[in-house]
Amino acid sequence: MSAVCILTPIVVASWPVLASAIFGAATSMGFTVRAESLHQEKRRKRQVETDIPNSEVVADALGRGERIVVQRGEVTVEFGRDERGACTVCVTGDQLSERELRKIGEDVAGRVVQQFAYHKLMTELKKRNYTVVEEQVLEDQSVHLRVRL
Amino acid sequence: MQRPEFDIQISKTGRVTVEVKGAPGPRCYELADLIKEIIGREEERRPTVEYYAPDSKVRIDAKVRDSSGG
Repeated sequence: MSAVCILTPIVVASWPVLASAIFGAATSMGFTVRAESLHQEKRRKRQVETDIPNSEVVADALGRGERIVVQRGEVTVEFGRDERGACTVCVTGDQLSERELRKIGEDVAGRVVQQFAYHKLMTELKKRNYTVVEEQVLEDQSVHLRVRL
Repeated sequence: MQRPEFDIQISKTGRVTVEVKGAPGPRCYELADLIKEIIGREEERRPTVEYYAPDSKVRIDAKVRDSSGG
């Protein structure tokens, strides 16, 4: 062993790339994608909003209207983009406390970052002809990769 | 000679921990920089024992001289 580094992903990507990470994370956490938006529901239910840390959705031709809505039981999570370009995470639910909703939002945001980092690493390592000799998901839901140069 | 390897762990919060193996000396930092460029911001970096290992092998022969003069 030569050196150990700890890194925080900077999530800068176009909406389609980020959407892919969102779908991967949401599906792995038992959420299903909803086709419709939430405007009316939000007014009736408890709601907590956060954002994906260190994120920026690079503007593309579609503009700022993109939304992704996923649901698990009575909890709904809506992903969007705010004025600064950060990816927002809005968690809505009625039977959970604000604290519980915030925890769900943070967990989901973390998993989106995990998916983003994983796909970016795999893409860049393969470009450089490095070989992934081992890949597994551990009990604590972390992803372990062993890569040979 | 062992080929360099990355041992990468991506936590469920997105934090990435990279261990560079099989690359003694400053070469390991070059490889760590590569992952940093891909991922983003470095929070911490620490060398391990192998970092201080020499790149080439050194052989030392030792002789004990009898200085009794007899």
